[in-house]
Amino acid sequence: MTSAPAAAAPARPVGAERSDRSAGPVRRRQRLRRALTGWAFSAPFTVLFLVFMAVPVVVSLAMSFTDLRSTDLRNPFAVNVVGFDNYARLFRDELFLRASVNTLVFVAVGVPLTIVVALAAASALNSALVRFRALFRVGFYLPVVTSIVAVAVVWRFLLDPEVGLLNNVLRVVGVEGPNWLGSTTTALPSLIVMAVWRNFGFLMVIFLAGLQAIPGDLYEAARLDGATRWQQFRTVTLPLLRPTLLFGGVVTGIGYLQLFEEPFVMTQGGPLSSTLSVSYHIYNQFGFGNYGYAAAASYVLFVAIVALSVLQFRLLGERS
Amino acid sequence: MRRTIRTGAAALAAVLALAACGRDAGGGQEEATAVAEGKATGEITVWAMGTEGEKLADFAKEFTAENPEATVNVTAVPWDAAHQKIASAIAAKQTPDVSMIGTTWQGEFAKTGALDPTPPDLFKKDDFFPGAWDTTVVDGTAYGVPWYVETRLVYYRKDLAAQAGFPEGPKSWDDLKAMAKGMKEKAGATWGMNLQPGKTGSWQSVLPFAWSNGAEVATEDTLSFGTPELTEALAYYQSFFTEGLAPTALPDGALEPGFVKGEIGAFISGPWHMGIVEEQGGPGFKDKYAVARMPAKKSSTSFIGGSNLAVFKDAKNRDAGWKFVQWLSKPEVQVKWYQAVKDLPAVQAAWEDPTLSGDTFLATFGDQLADAKAPPAIPTWEQIAAAFDVEVEKLCKQNTDPAATAKAIQDQATAIGTGA
Repeated sequence: MTSAPAAAAPARPVGAERSDRSAGPVRRRQRLRRALTGWAFSAPFTVLFLVFMAVPVVVSLAMSFTDLRSTDLRNPFAVNVVGFDNYARLFRDELFLRASVNTLVFVAVGVPLTIVVALAAASALNSALVRFRALFRVGFYLPVVTSIVAVAVVWRFLLDPEVGLLNNVLRVVGVEGPNWLGSTTTALPSLIVMAVWRNFGFLMVIFLAGLQAIPGDLYEAARLDGATRWQQFRTVTLPLLRPTLLFGGVVTGIGYLQLFEEPFVMTQGGPLSSTLSVSYHIYNQFGFGNYGYAAAASYVLFVAIVALSVLQFRLLGERS
Repeated sequence: MRRTIRTGAAALAAVLALAACGRDAGGGQEEATAVAEGKATGEITVWAMGTEGEKLADFAKEFTAENPEATVNVTAVPWDAAHQKIASAIAAKQTPDVSMIGTTWQGEFAKTGALDPTPPDLFKKDDFFPGAWDTTVVDGTAYGVPWYVETRLVYYRKDLAAQAGFPEGPKSWDDLKAMAKGMKEKAGATWGMNLQPGKTGSWQSVLPFAWSNGAEVATEDTLSFGTPELTEALAYYQSFFTEGLAPTALPDGALEPGFVKGEIGAFISGPWHMGIVEEQGGPGFKDKYAVARMPAKKSSTSFIGGSNLAVFKDAKNRDAGWKFVQWLSKPEVQVKWYQAVKDLPAVQAAWEDPTLSGDTFLATFGDQLADAKAPPAIPTWEQIAAAFDVEVEKLCKQNTDPAATAKAIQDQATAIGTGA
């Protein structure tokens, strides 16, 4: 849509606005033609956008105010409008509240942890200390490009209470490890660790690029002033990396709020709903055929994502 | 300006969509229309899932040999995608002529009005197992017919059962408990019994106990989970966990090796487990275990599952579709279908064939099928079942009070409703 004026603008003579007033129908027709040309040029995008983005969004929003169920498939308009009833029900739905808490814990712990780990890895790779840099870079990035299904199988083996590597290692030092995915206290933390492991490689690459963009003479100046490594990191690296950190936080936050794959393949939301996420709950509700209710839950999640992103922009954004 | 137009258009669209809404009173019985006489003609499109989807095309050649002017076009649909695919087809009114339908989906799809009522001139209710036929009935009308069935039995190790003092297997609730105890204490099994401690599908293990105790649980318009009968069944189920006879966190895939090694004395499952334990146990294992009917309390009632075959109202070739379904429901074809894919026949007469009646294990399944129930075909059943599974998990793992569990299930079921 934004391309419409861009397409029409070059053809418009400077000062046309002023002379328009006195112009007759000829001018107006010319203007109309220009506008039409512009719209025609932007039509391929506009039509696709309307059909595949705008309409579904509007329809799903409208759907969230009705009691549409899967049994209404043949007559989707023969449903009742229930106003905000779906939304009100959501906040009385114990499972939804449980899922919201789980998701918030996952985000509140997972996002900072991912950023810290990614930043640590990026800093280490950026310093001259590490040899085989390319090897590590590839190694850390591999989990990002590996299929979650394969990852899940491997992690299930790792975390297996009887034969798993983790508990066997613990046994060597004399500790009997818990049933990681089978206990309500350790299942969600296990998934957080797995998600951090799986996602930090992506942020690491971004942070590495950010680190390399920081001019070396700033560090040199800091060193001349007698700054330690930690002081250099705090006063030079962190402030200059802020835009990159913001990007990392927003992208990871959006991804983590939509937590779905990990519990889906690892725990199916269990045990006792301790790893049920909001997205998973929505998925279940769609599966049960409660289309209106599930759409309402989706919009609550959408609002939460927007809110988290705004918050991060406020905290980490440019300060002038 | 542009933005206001867009928001305006969106709002207008929403208002138009909402204004057109409003439910009809609807419901009630539907009359089936008769199917034309004569042989089937034309192309019949069929959707089927899993093994059935893979094998049906070949199997249908016999049908096309009998009906030379008809062709059967089978599309294999993976189970995971099947529900969504059928739902989309119904919404788009682009359905196949015939589709396999999971029994628990029947209520939902029938309520959309997409399924054709079963023509009574082609099918007789009494030919099928009553529990299976009930899964096709929605609001008093049958939509489709049962294709194949499965039910749940107690699998037990004969050697351990003999040491525990039950060489003939358990007959009653008390027997089952005492056998599990004996297997653990006298026969040295780690677990006397394995029962599913919640999670998806655990209602299929719990409800047989409730039904055997006389609990009604659910009909098409009432949900009654808060009954003393269900509470008692839940307490009985829970006692296997509190008394340490059944594991609460058995890792995936540990059941069959445990059973083969004699670490797990017994479990409840369907016919597919015969093949699995015999494969894992190696030659001769068939003599080491046996299957028994669900232990009796007031009755010995099990769960009946399986799949139905339904014809769609939007079918292009409805009459031929029903004729194909009728052919698949012939007793001799059902026996052949069992031989091809090991699906247990839903038609009672097929069980007289020596292929099935000659095998003692299979005969026990056939015997149990005569007293096996399914939940009513209501569109909300899967959601109620999911809530049920969550509460059962709390019952088994957190020792919640059985009466409180029954009440929690009832409260959630009431909130969900029957979808009527």
